[in-house]
Amino acid sequence: MASHGLSYEGCNFLRQRLVLSTLSGKRVKIKSIRSKDDEPGLRDFEASFIRLLDKVTNGSRIEINQTGTVLVYQPGLLYGGTVEHDCNPQRSIGYYLEALLMLGPFMKTPLKATLRGVTNDPTDPTVDLLKSAALPVMKNFGIDGEGFDLKVLKRGMAPGGGGEVVFTCPVRRTIRPVQLTEPGKIKRIRGVAYSVRVSPQMANRIVESARSILNKFLPDIYIYTDHMKGANSGKSPGFGLTLVAETLSGSFLSAEMSSTPQGQGDPILPEDLGRNCAKLLLEEIYRGGCVDSSNQSLALLLMTLGQQDVSKVLLGPLSPYTIEFLRHIRDFFQLMFKIEIQKPLEDERKGGDKVLMTCVGVGYSNINKTVK
Amino acid sequence: MDGKVKKQKQHQQKHSGPKAEKKKLKQKNDSVEEDERKRNPKAFAVQSAVRMAKTFHRAQDIKTKKHHIPIVDRTPLEPPPIVVVVVGPPKVGKSTLIRCLIKNFTRQKLTDICGPVTIVSGKKRRLTFVECNNDINTMIDVAKVADLVLMLIDASFGFEMETFEFLNICQVHGFPRIMGVLTHLDAFKNNKTLRKTKKNLKHRFWTEVYQGAKLFYLSGMVYGEYQNQEVKNLGRFISVMKFRPLVWQTSHPYVVVDRLEDLTDHERVRTDPKCDRTVSLYGYLRGTHLKNKGQVHIPGVGDFQVSDVNFLPDPCPLPDTQKKRALNEKERLLYAPMAGVGGVVYDKDAVYIDLPASHVRQLQEEVRPTTELVQSLIETHVTLDAKMAASKVSLFSGSASLDPTDINDEKQEGHREMRVWDSNTQRERRKVVFTGGEKEEQSDFSGSSSDEDDDSSESDQEDQEQDEDEKNITSHAPPVKKQKLEEIKGESEVIPEVLAFADSEDELEKSEVESEGEDEAERAGDSGHSSEESKEESDEEENEDEVMEEETGTAKGYDSEEEEKSGGRHAVDDCRPHSNFKLIWRPGVVSFVCPPSVCVISLFLSTGALKWKEGLQQKATEAFLRHQEAAPNLRKQVYGSVVEADDSEEDNEEEELGGLFRVSRPQKSKKVQANALDCSHFNPDTSHNWDLEEMLNSIRDCFVTGTWEEGQDAAMLLKEDEELYGDFEDLETGKVHKGSTGEQDQAEVSDEDRGVKVDDEEVQKNKRLEKKRRLKERFDAEYDDDDATYFDDLKEEMQKQAELNRAEFEDMDDESRVQYEGFRPGMYIRLEISSLPCEFVTNFDPHYPIIVGGLSTSEGNVGYLQMRLKKHRWYDRILKTRDPLILSLGWRRFQTIPLYHIEDHNGRHRLLKYTPQHMHCGASIWGPITPQGTGFLAFQSVSGVKANFRIAATGVILDLDKSVTIVKKLKLIGYPYKIFQNTCFIKGMFNTVLEVAKFEGASIRTVSGIRGQIKKALSTPPGAFRATFEDRLLMSDIVFLRSWYPVPVPQLYNPITSLLLPVGQKDTWSGMRTLGQLKHDLGIRNKPSTDSLYKTITRAPRHFNQLHIPKELQKALPFKSKPKLQQLKGKTPRDLKRPSVIREPHERKVVELLRALSTVHNYKKKAAHTVHHAKHKEFLQQKEKEEEAKLKRKKDAQKKLYRIMGQRDQKKLRSSLKGTTQDD
Repeated sequence: MASHGLSYEGCNFLRQRLVLSTLSGKRVKIKSIRSKDDEPGLRDFEASFIRLLDKVTNGSRIEINQTGTVLVYQPGLLYGGTVEHDCNPQRSIGYYLEALLMLGPFMKTPLKATLRGVTNDPTDPTVDLLKSAALPVMKNFGIDGEGFDLKVLKRGMAPGGGGEVVFTCPVRRTIRPVQLTEPGKIKRIRGVAYSVRVSPQMANRIVESARSILNKFLPDIYIYTDHMKGANSGKSPGFGLTLVAETLSGSFLSAEMSSTPQGQGDPILPEDLGRNCAKLLLEEIYRGGCVDSSNQSLALLLMTLGQQDVSKVLLGPLSPYTIEFLRHIRDFFQLMFKIEIQKPLEDERKGGDKVLMTCVGVGYSNINKTVK
Repeated sequence: MDGKVKKQKQHQQKHSGPKAEKKKLKQKNDSVEEDERKRNPKAFAVQSAVRMAKTFHRAQDIKTKKHHIPIVDRTPLEPPPIVVVVVGPPKVGKSTLIRCLIKNFTRQKLTDICGPVTIVSGKKRRLTFVECNNDINTMIDVAKVADLVLMLIDASFGFEMETFEFLNICQVHGFPRIMGVLTHLDAFKNNKTLRKTKKNLKHRFWTEVYQGAKLFYLSGMVYGEYQNQEVKNLGRFISVMKFRPLVWQTSHPYVVVDRLEDLTDHERVRTDPKCDRTVSLYGYLRGTHLKNKGQVHIPGVGDFQVSDVNFLPDPCPLPDTQKKRALNEKERLLYAPMAGVGGVVYDKDAVYIDLPASHVRQLQEEVRPTTELVQSLIETHVTLDAKMAASKVSLFSGSASLDPTDINDEKQEGHREMRVWDSNTQRERRKVVFTGGEKEEQSDFSGSSSDEDDDSSESDQEDQEQDEDEKNITSHAPPVKKQKLEEIKGESEVIPEVLAFADSEDELEKSEVESEGEDEAERAGDSGHSSEESKEESDEEENEDEVMEEETGTAKGYDSEEEEKSGGRHAVDDCRPHSNFKLIWRPGVVSFVCPPSVCVISLFLSTGALKWKEGLQQKATEAFLRHQEAAPNLRKQVYGSVVEADDSEEDNEEEELGGLFRVSRPQKSKKVQANALDCSHFNPDTSHNWDLEEMLNSIRDCFVTGTWEEGQDAAMLLKEDEELYGDFEDLETGKVHKGSTGEQDQAEVSDEDRGVKVDDEEVQKNKRLEKKRRLKERFDAEYDDDDATYFDDLKEEMQKQAELNRAEFEDMDDESRVQYEGFRPGMYIRLEISSLPCEFVTNFDPHYPIIVGGLSTSEGNVGYLQMRLKKHRWYDRILKTRDPLILSLGWRRFQTIPLYHIEDHNGRHRLLKYTPQHMHCGASIWGPITPQGTGFLAFQSVSGVKANFRIAATGVILDLDKSVTIVKKLKLIGYPYKIFQNTCFIKGMFNTVLEVAKFEGASIRTVSGIRGQIKKALSTPPGAFRATFEDRLLMSDIVFLRSWYPVPVPQLYNPITSLLLPVGQKDTWSGMRTLGQLKHDLGIRNKPSTDSLYKTITRAPRHFNQLHIPKELQKALPFKSKPKLQQLKGKTPRDLKRPSVIREPHERKVVELLRALSTVHNYKKKAAHTVHHAKHKEFLQQKEKEEEAKLKRKKDAQKKLYRIMGQRDQKKLRSSLKGTTQDD
C-alpha cells in the first residue's frame, strides 16, 4: 500500500502526534528523541503514555530502538473498554487524560479508564480543570449522555501521587459541527480549593484570597473546599485551586494553580496562590473565547473530525501548543483552518484579540464502532 | 284519432314556496359535502378504542415512513457534469446512442467514442457520457461513479446476463438512476409479438429496478442513427432527471479522468523504458471535497499518493446566466480530449493530432472558447512569472536599485521562456520546440486549438505536429490574434486580484520558486508540507533570535510585493499584546514597509500593459492600507508559507545573488525546542499586571455586571418595551402611565455610550428596524403553528448548516478557498501522480475509463475485515473457504482469501468449509480498511466472458476488528493404558508434561459417552496423564478432548491491475487460482480415503443359543409366557390311514362295464331331459297365448259393458235435463 507515514523529530508534542496518528491511521516515526541529551531517549512518563495507548488500542505496533531515540508507531484500532493504568508520577494524570479525552469518543466500545498517579501538579492541567473545562467543550460537540463522566476518587499530589481518577466516555459515530462564536458574559465563577495532607484551613485561606480579587467583578462566586483525608489523600502533601468562569452561553474559562511539590523549589503561601490563581483566571478571561486556552486543541480536533460542514469556534490567542497542533492536523488530515483575528472595538472592554477559527470537517466517521 | 299530437306540459321549476326552499337547502348541503361527519356523527363515532388506536398508529406509520433522515445539502452551486453511463452487451447500439445524443445536444458528430465525452446539455446541466464495454471490470468501476445509467437491451434477443450482472453490481454499490432503452425493435415484423415482447421485457425490468422504471423504445434506425424524435425525447428525459445522493459517492471525492498526460522525463524513459511514470490526470471533481496530497485509488491500477492537485479553468463551462430560453450554438460545448475533439487522438504508444480536412474549420470554432480558458491559464502563469522575474529586481531596487530597462529586457526574454517554464511539467519539451519566433507563434496556436495536449505530443511526434500546426496557421490566422488580445485582458484581471488578497501569497511564492529551480518548484507548489519542514517552521517561530533573522531572510527571499507588505503589517502590529506575535514581529522592519510598496507600483508601471495601470496603482495602495489595518497574518504564522519551508534550499542561491542577508540557523536552539516539555498549558503574558485598575477595567464587560451591548442591555430592552407597550392604565390605582418619548430615550442611550457620538438618523433608523423586528417576532411566536416536530427542527437545522456552508467561503478567491475546504466538486482539476507503473501509460486504452477515487484518512490501510456474506442465488456453486475470491469493495477490486464462518449460539465464530446455500454467513478477509456498512461484490474470476452468472456473492462490511478469532474444532485422541475403578491413565493425547499442564481440568469424553476430566500429568511416559471418569472405562475405549483451534486469516491482498494489461487483453486478468482450478490444471486427483469408499456389505449369519428357562420359573410363568411344549400337528399315523383297494381283473371288468352302462344311461337321460324341456317350453308358450287371448276377450267385454253403462248414464242425464226444460 502506498500509505506513507509521517516523520518528526524530537520528543515535544509526542502526545499530539500519537493521538492524531491513531485517529488518522497514519504511521508515524519520531526520530532523535533527546538524542543530544545526557539521558537520551524516551522518559518513563512517555513510555507510560505509550503503554496506555497500547492498552486502549488493538493491533497497534510500537517499535522503539535500543536507545529510545527513535519511535515508530503503527496505529491499530481503538478498542476502549475497561482500562486500568498506573500513570508514571513524573507527569500528572492530566497529561495522559488529555489524550484519552481526544480518543475517547472514537473507540469501539465505551471507554472506562481508571488512571492512578498524580492528580494535581503545577505543570500539567489537573484533573479538576479537565473535569470542569474540557468536558463541557466536548458536550458542545454532542459527546454527552450518562456515560460521560470524570470522577476523582482519590487525590494525589506531586511528587508522590497516589490519586485515582475514573474517566468514562461514550462512543460516537460522527461528531456534529459547532458554531461557537458568541462567548457570552460570565455569569458565575466556581472553583475547587483542595488540600491534602495539610491543614484543612489552607483551603479556606486560598478561597478568601481568591475571592478578594474576583469579587471586584462578580458577586456570584462560590469556591468549594475539598479536603481529602486518609486513603483518599495520596502520598504527598499539597494544596491548590481551580477556578472556572461560566458564561451565559455555556462556555467555560478556567485557571488553576497548585502548590509546588514537596521538596522542589520554594513553598508557596496559600494566600499568594489564591491571588495568583485569580489573576490567572482574569488573564484567561482577558484572552477570552468560547474555549479556554488549555482546551483549544481539543476543540479544534473535534472540529476537524466533524462532518463535512463548516464549524466555527472563537478562541483567545492561540497557544504555542495549539499552533503546533494545527500544523499536525494539516499533516495528518490535510485540513487547514481559516484563521481570522477579531479585534475588540475601541470602547469595548472585553479583553484582547480573539481568533475565529473556521474549518470544514473532514467527515470522519468512527470506523472502530461495530455495525449491528 | 285525428292525427293531432298532444303536446305535453313542460316542467315548471318552483322558485318559491316550500319545495323550492327544500331544494335550496339540499343544494347547499351538497356543496358542503365534507360535513358528513357532522351530519351523521353516529356513523363516525368511536366504536372501539383499540381499533381507533390501530388506525391512528397505522396512519402515523405511513406518515413516518415517508420521512428520510434529513442530511445537510452539500451539493455545490455549480455541480460537475452528470455521469451518464451507457451499458449493455456488445452490438446493442451503445456507441450509436451516444453519438445520437451528442448530436442531439450539440449538433456535432462524433465518430469515435473514446473515453468520456462532456457536453453542455442545457443552461444548468452538463453531461459526461461514458461508454461501458462488456468487461466486468469496467462495469464494476463505472457503476461506482454513474449518476445515470442508460441500460441498452436488445429487444430482438431479450435480456442478457451482462444486464443482470450490471444491475446486481449497481445494487451493491448504491443504486444510481437507471433507465432502460430497448433497441433493435425493427427486427420484429409482427406487431403483436412486438407488443408482447415489449410488455414482457418491461415487467422483468421493473422487477429488477422498481415498479414503473422508465423504459425507452428506440424503434428503428434511419441511416445508421436512431430516429430523431426518439433521441430528442430521451435527451429531454435525461436533462430533467433528478438524482438521489448515494452514500459512497457523497462521502468520497472522485474524478472520471477525461485526459491524461505523461510528464516523465523523456531522457529517463529513453534510458529506462520501464521506469515509473509521472502522470497528470484531468477531470471534473465529483463527490465531495478533495484535499491536496491525499491518497487516491485508481481502480485497476492501485493506490497512490497525489503529489499535486491544481484546479484549471472549466474546459466545458456552463453558459453565463442570462434570461433566455435556449442555448446558442456557441454555448453547446463538447469536450472529449480522448476522442480527439481538441484535435488529439491517443494511440497505443503515441498521440496524434487528428484534423480531418472537412472538419477543421468547424472544429476549431467550436472548441475555441474551451481552449481560450486553458490559454488564459497558461497566460496567468506567464504573468506570474513575469512578476516574479520583476519582483526579484524590485528587492534590489529597494536596497540597491536596478534600472527598469534591464527588467524589461529580461522580461522579454522571459516571455519566450515563459512557455518553457510555465508549468513545471512541460518545460523541457517546450524548450526543444521553441527555437525561433515563428515556432512560438505555432505554440500559441496549438495551445489555443487543443489545450496542452499538443505540447506533450510535440515532443513525441514533433515532425508530424509541426506540419499539422503549420496547416492550422495557414488556415486560421485570425483567431490567434483575437486570442492574444484576450490574453492581455486576462492578465489585467489577474494581477489586481493577486494584490487584493493576502491569502494568495502562497501562489505568488510558488511561482517565484518555480523560476528558481525545478526541484524546488515542485516541492513548493503544494500547499501542504512534509512533516520535517513544518517541524522546522515551528522551531523557528518560537525562537526569537532565529525569527528575527528569519524575517529578514524571508523578506529578502520572497522579494514579492505581497511579502513585503505582510512584513509591514507585522511591524505595525508589533505593539499588540499577543505573546506569540510579539516574539516574531518585534524586529523593526519598518524601514522595509514603505519602499517596497512604492517600488511594486513603480514596477508595475514600468512593466505593465497599457490599460490597467492607472487602476492598479490605486488598488495596490488601497490593498496596502487595508492590510495595514488588518490583523497580522496569523495563518502565515501557523501554517508558515511555502517559501519558508524551502529556505534552506534557497539559502545558497540567495547568497550568490545578493549576499545582502543570510539566514543563520542556530542548530542547537532548534534541537532544544524539539525536545522541550510537552505541555498544553499556555503560560500567561507577564506584561499584564492584574493589580492595575486599567487592566481590570479592560475586561469589565466580560461579566454580566459589565456594560451590555445595545441590543442586549436589560435596561434598554425594558425601555423599548415600554415604548411599544408603555401606555397602560393601572386599574387598581387608576393611574395612567405614559410611555417615555423617543427623545429622552435617545439622550439616555447617548449617556450610556459615554459620549460616543453617533449619527442621530442612523440610531433612529436602527431603532425603528429593531422595533419592527421585535414586533414581528412577537407575532410569529403567537401565530405560527407550534406543532413543529422533531423532524421539522432537524430539517431546519440542516438547512441552516447548508446555508452556512455555502456562505462561509463564498466571497473568497478559489486559490485560498481550496486550501481551506479542499477542491470542491464541480472544479476541473489536474491531479499529478508520480510513480505510476509504466504499463499504465504504455498500455493506455481510452475505451477503459480511468477513475480516480479519493480515500479518506484511514482507508489507505490494510487490515482485517469482518463481513456478512451470502452466496448469490444465481451463482451455481458454493464457495470454499480459503479459495481466493475477487472482491469489489469501496473503490477497489482485489483478490483475497476469505475464511467463512458462522456464529454459534455462544458467540463463537466457527469456521465453515463452504458457504451455506441459502443463508448468510460471516467472512473474514485481509483487505483495505473500509467503513462499516459498505457493500461488496465477490467474483471468482473477472477474466473472459462466461455463459453463467459471474457474481458469486454479495455482502456488507460489519466490523474492522483485528482480533476476531475464527476457530475450528480439534479433537485430541488418547488411549487408556491402565484402568483402575473410575480412574484411568491415558497416553497418546499430548507429548509433554507442559502440554498436559495446560489442559488440567479440561473435560474429556469417550466415544461411548463416558465423561471425565484431566487430573494431572504423569511423569512417564511423557504426555500421559491421570483422568477420572464417571464410569469404568474399557481398554478398548478411545478418549478424546474436544477443543477449538484458532484459524488465522491468510494475509493476501492482491489488487486487480487490469488497466495495466496490454491493450486488447485487459479483460484477461487472472490472479491466484482456486484449489479446484489448480487441481484441474495440474491434473491432480485426490485419492479418496479407503474408509470412505463404498463397498458391498457382507454380513455373516449369526447363531443364537436356545433360551433355557428353568422348570420352576416355567411353572410360575403365566400361560402366555410359558414356552409352548405342544408338538405341531403332523401326518396321520399309518394305523389310522385306510388301505387302498386293488381290484381283481374280473372285478375291474365289471366296474368297466358298469361305468360304460352308466355313461350310456346318463346320455339317454340327458337327451330325454332336453326333449322334455323343449316340450314344456312349447306348452308354456301355448298357455301364455291362451291367457293373453282370454285377457283380451275379458277386456273387450268390459269395455263394451262400460260403454253401455256410460251411454245409459248420459241418456239418463239428458233425459233429466230434457224433462226440466220441458217443464219450463
